[in-house]
Amino acid sequence: MSYAIALSFLVAALAPTIVRFAGRASPWILAILPASIFAWFLSLTGRVREEGSIVQQITWVPGLDANLTFHLDGLSLLFALLVSGIGILIVLYGGGYLKGHPQLGRFYLFLLFFMGSMLGVVLASNVISLFVFWELTSFSSYGLIGFIHEKERSRAAALQALLVTSLGGLVMLVGLILLGSMGGSFELTQLTLQDSLSEHPFYVGALLLILAGAFTKSAQFPFHFWLPGAMEAPTPVSAYLHSATMVKAGVYLMARLNPALGDTTLWLYLVGGIGLVTMVVGAYLALAHTDLKKLLAYSTVMALGQLTMLIGLGTELAIQAMVVFLLVHALYKAALFMAAGSIDHETGTRDVRELGGLAGVMPLTFAASLVAALSMAGLPPLFGFVGKEIVYDATLSLDSGAALFTTFAVLANIAVVAVAGIVALRPFLGARRQTPKAPHEAPFTMWIGPALLGVGSVVFGLLPALVGPTFMVGAASAVLGEPQSFELALWHGFNLPLLLSAITVASGVILYLAWPRLRTGFGNFDRLFGEVPRLGYEWTLDALARVAAWQTRTIQNGSLRWYLFVIVAFFVALTGATLLFRGGIALPDTTGSVHIFEVIVAIICAGGALVVVLARSRVAALASLGITGYALALLFVMFSAPDLALTQLFIETLSVILLTLVVIYLPPLRRSEATPGRTRPVVRDAVVSALAGGLVTLLVWGVIANPLDMTIPEFYGENSYTQAHGRNIVNVILVDFRAIDTMGEILVLALAGIGVFTLMRLRANRARAPRVFAYRLAPEEERGLVPAERTDIAGPLPDDDEWEQDERGPNS
Amino acid sequence: MSWLLLSPMLIPFLGASVAFLAWNRPRFGQVVGVVSAVLLLITSVALLLDVHANGIRVVQAANWEAPFGISFVADHLSAIMVVLTAIIGLATIVYSLFDINRERTYYGYYPLLLTLLFGVNGAFLTGDLFNLYVWFEVLLLASFVLMSLGGTRPQLDGTLKYVFINLLASALLLVAIGLTYGMTGTLNMADLAVKLPLVENSGLVTAVATMFLIAFGIKAGIFPLFAWLPASYHTPPVAVSAIFAGLLTKVGVYTLIRAFTLLFTQDVGYTHQLLLWAAGLTMLTGVLGAAAQFEIRRILSWHIISQIGYMIMGLALYTPLALVGAVFYITHHIIVKANLFFVGGIIKRLTGSFELEETGGLYKASPLLAVLFLIPAFSLAGFPPLSGFWPKYILFRAGLEVESYLIVAVALITGILTTFSMTKIWAQAFWKGTPEGAARPVRGSRFRELRALYLPVMFLAGITIVIGVYAQPFLELAQASAAELLDSRAYVESVLGEGAYDPVLALTGSELGVAP
Amino acid sequence: MNSLILRVVGRLLVPLMLLFSVFLLLRGHNEPGGGFVGGLMAVGAFGLYSLTYGVATARKALFVDPRTLVGLGLLLAVISGFGAAFIDAPYLTGVWFVWDLAPDFTLHVGTPTVFDVGVYLVVIGGVLMALFSVEDD
Repeated sequence: MSYAIALSFLVAALAPTIVRFAGRASPWILAILPASIFAWFLSLTGRVREEGSIVQQITWVPGLDANLTFHLDGLSLLFALLVSGIGILIVLYGGGYLKGHPQLGRFYLFLLFFMGSMLGVVLASNVISLFVFWELTSFSSYGLIGFIHEKERSRAAALQALLVTSLGGLVMLVGLILLGSMGGSFELTQLTLQDSLSEHPFYVGALLLILAGAFTKSAQFPFHFWLPGAMEAPTPVSAYLHSATMVKAGVYLMARLNPALGDTTLWLYLVGGIGLVTMVVGAYLALAHTDLKKLLAYSTVMALGQLTMLIGLGTELAIQAMVVFLLVHALYKAALFMAAGSIDHETGTRDVRELGGLAGVMPLTFAASLVAALSMAGLPPLFGFVGKEIVYDATLSLDSGAALFTTFAVLANIAVVAVAGIVALRPFLGARRQTPKAPHEAPFTMWIGPALLGVGSVVFGLLPALVGPTFMVGAASAVLGEPQSFELALWHGFNLPLLLSAITVASGVILYLAWPRLRTGFGNFDRLFGEVPRLGYEWTLDALARVAAWQTRTIQNGSLRWYLFVIVAFFVALTGATLLFRGGIALPDTTGSVHIFEVIVAIICAGGALVVVLARSRVAALASLGITGYALALLFVMFSAPDLALTQLFIETLSVILLTLVVIYLPPLRRSEATPGRTRPVVRDAVVSALAGGLVTLLVWGVIANPLDMTIPEFYGENSYTQAHGRNIVNVILVDFRAIDTMGEILVLALAGIGVFTLMRLRANRARAPRVFAYRLAPEEERGLVPAERTDIAGPLPDDDEWEQDERGPNS
Repeated sequence: MSWLLLSPMLIPFLGASVAFLAWNRPRFGQVVGVVSAVLLLITSVALLLDVHANGIRVVQAANWEAPFGISFVADHLSAIMVVLTAIIGLATIVYSLFDINRERTYYGYYPLLLTLLFGVNGAFLTGDLFNLYVWFEVLLLASFVLMSLGGTRPQLDGTLKYVFINLLASALLLVAIGLTYGMTGTLNMADLAVKLPLVENSGLVTAVATMFLIAFGIKAGIFPLFAWLPASYHTPPVAVSAIFAGLLTKVGVYTLIRAFTLLFTQDVGYTHQLLLWAAGLTMLTGVLGAAAQFEIRRILSWHIISQIGYMIMGLALYTPLALVGAVFYITHHIIVKANLFFVGGIIKRLTGSFELEETGGLYKASPLLAVLFLIPAFSLAGFPPLSGFWPKYILFRAGLEVESYLIVAVALITGILTTFSMTKIWAQAFWKGTPEGAARPVRGSRFRELRALYLPVMFLAGITIVIGVYAQPFLELAQASAAELLDSRAYVESVLGEGAYDPVLALTGSELGVAP
Repeated sequence: MNSLILRVVGRLLVPLMLLFSVFLLLRGHNEPGGGFVGGLMAVGAFGLYSLTYGVATARKALFVDPRTLVGLGLLLAVISGFGAAFIDAPYLTGVWFVWDLAPDFTLHVGTPTVFDVGVYLVVIGGVLMALFSVEDD
């Protein structure tokens, strides 16, 4: 099984190359891949039937319980055959549909990549690898919906589908992790054997989270809106991903987990209920549209709802109905999509109001879609009839709610009959209409698919035993978790389901005939159930953009002053509160022994710092800074550290000189940098600064309340001369004990020198030749929502032409 | 053995010195840069293998026994970080060869990059708190010069904010280190791990711990201390942004992890709860900030912040699995984030702009670049089976294990919004057609000139895929790191000698809630 | 700053300062001083010289570009640590040579001394680089 998946990925990667070299033959060459996979899975049918399941295990990341475990049972087999079988037809069809398209290679890349991923989903037994493949299908769906990528609608639709399904996917991952911890295993084969999961305290949480993933993927109400949007994709994609396979991944997952999580009231109400709502809403939403693909998309929503509902009901009959309808739907819906694509391809429009009388020019397409439509409407002797009978049978035989479920199933199916008529009869019957392109019969690759699927619908309808005992029974057994045996038949005699079928078809025909007049009425229904969820999605994105812009304006407003304030205030609040509430305050008892000189030096120090802040000219500020520095040097002298004092004196002198040199060239200090009308928050800043200073003092007091551990200084004193050949401990520390620190510090010094040098030099160079740099930055003006960074301090930044130009931006 | 441990520092330092010495021969600087980076990669991988085989390695610089000299310690985490530094260093230097103009080269671009690598490796390997401060200074100065090199006005504006805020962080850090020394009389981290739990005034220790949280938090870019990052990272040349984005904030994260696993574990219920809040808010504000941006580098810069949140989340949850997640996340993030900046740079070279509005048409013009963008972008968004999926999955699991549902929800929302941002770049720069009036994407001979830029991008994208598909060995490394982080005994004893950790063990039995 | 006093003082003072800076460097291991302070003293000397006679003259007087000094100093500092390799000790371990030159005078020369010279050079080069370029402007 792993080979089938790996091979798909490999061929996908090679697809662009194959298309480039094989040209027109490439669809046929590429179709070999799904065909051989299909054949291989078909050959395994017997083994699966005898052994129940085939398991393959590949160790991947065992430390995280993620292994590539594959497991082929009846359900997986049915899906694998659908994925690969329809895959053959789609590969051929896509070649015709996109003939000559320059990106055909990439189309096949994504398509086959999807096929591999989808096979992974239905074969994976390990929930983590299931999730991996699940997300890969979302990704390939993204690439395929956005295939016509220069159209903005395509991009938006692709994004919508991706966001909805991958949000659901992530939520589901959390659910799967919970499930794994509940069941003590990440293997579905193990999990489905357990029947006490529903009593676990995590059950409700895990169920809701997993269903979120399944519902979004399978477009259940109210997440169904992304599926009609996804019709922006080329039609082969819609036929494959968005009706026959990917959207059924959610259904697959629910079916798969039915033995583990099903059979509770919550499951019944949630899965059954949401399925019911989706079924009815989808069916009638379809009638509001005239676009062939939209009609089909909404009827797909209906089908997904019906499948979900049947899983929710969970009775043996319901599950049998589910697996049968799954196949029924795959056969007719893929065919109808392909036919719709052919019509679009040939005539240039998909609007049913503009189509008519095509039966003459496109007879083969007409025949194929007629068969599919009849199956969809559930008329004998087609397979759809078998499916509908068994669905009704299942709802009728419910212990409770039989009337409710049956009524709504009939109501939904009435609409389906009408939709079948609209998509398969209207474009072909009646008078010819003028269309953008003059239609011809679709090429062979494009009608063979619908035709073969139509044949399937007929053959399986007439001979349900062909698929019944082999595939249907196996799949149902897997879903129910225990072996089943039942037989399918076209004719059950005159009974209630037959009567309901008749009522359905009759009402459906009436609805079809009345549809042109009723359509506008369905528009209101569409606005409520179709538009509102979509608007909800859009509103969420808009709100997100607004919140994001607001937040960014507020916390990242471009003012350095504000940034520094936030940090200092945060320090005061956090460290202050911690000190207060974790009880760290302690006072040293040595307060009495402070020497008068120390006090004087401290006052000079603090005074100097204060003057720096208050000074009205830069030179004055620098001088005061120097005073603070010298006072510090004095302090070092008092505590007998002549080395430090000396260094401090030198550094202070040099930096004052250096800075004075810089300052001389600067314009005078400007005081009114803030926006007019806004006063500078002097008081706020002063208070916070004072608090920060006080807090540090408090911390230092707390520290010196206890005597310092002198082990290390004493070690230095003892070993400085004996071991390190030096009497000057400070120097020995610098060049020996902690020489690596010094290595770092001299590098810092060197870098500082280089920094000043390059700043000065490069600036000077640019003044001579303003366009030296090839990497000029894009203008910094506001773009969209958020103001560009600006500075509000009068820094040492001389004006230059380039900046002036940038600031004006394109608006000037 | 000691030479191997220190070589990640000595190689770039030697290289930088030689290149500075030959400052008037820029070509030579390039050669030295490449040679040093290659040697760095070789030795750091050797170091990691050595640590993995033989356990924690220690060097007492200048041969003064701990805690009197300065110890350098390589445990799994340090060694991993050093390897990542080497990878990003090599990629950046190679990218720069084809992207940094002669003028910057002349003013010492390559030796400056090497000093940056030296500082980063120093910070990862040091076992001494003050020494760590020194490396922070080296980093700050090196990044300051690299950032301002070129001196366009927006660049200087960004640099100014960067430097001021980081100086404030340094000041806080220095005060905090001073206070720590005052409480314990030592600066050696192993020694501190023994002595800090014994300090009687544990409230004071916690208060000082919050100072470290703030100082390192500024460096790491956590909420609400990250303002310097979005203000500056979009201004320098893209190669510089890339190495900053990959490495600098991760030094902050690394030190946070070190501080809150080795040093400050006496009040985990309080400090790590703080970290958890910081993690959640960092994720959200970061990802929302990105949603409001329409310039590639700005989007990527904001995403650095949100991703930092995940790493802090791993630290804050403070379980073995969570720390595995944090380490794994760092590994993944460094590679991916630097790569996205590189790709951004190529986008700019091809379309002439970083503004999404002005870009377009690249899906048609350069399918190779499209693939090379998709890999890191969807990895960042956490799509499996790329490298970003695993740490996210681990962190979800770790969060669920301790029933911190809120943080898991936040992580989840951040994940989906990251997808949103990455697809925004994709849809605009790649899918969208070339906007009217904008320059057509470069093709033909000019395009071939740019091919060399793809080398480092492919190299990093390859690593992303390998980590994703072949995750088990990386997981094992992360697990080994997490185990070491949660049990300080091995660290302390390999620095200070057998039995050095016993005082803490004696205490742990009674009152300390140090995790397993 | 073309002041006569400054020129006269400068001519006298600058050599003295340079001499003193070397003195500070060499005695540093035992008495207050060392590469850092010594370097700063030398910077002061060249700074004064440049103020008096202009940057160009000062650059000439320095013989080498400040950047070369920085590189040289860094290299010296880092290489001094490799001496330890010869005695099979960790990086930066001091390797000392001790000569008893007189009964009351023992000369200790070791790799940390070389390290200190490196510091000295980096300080001179680094600060002068900044100083000169600011003055140039």
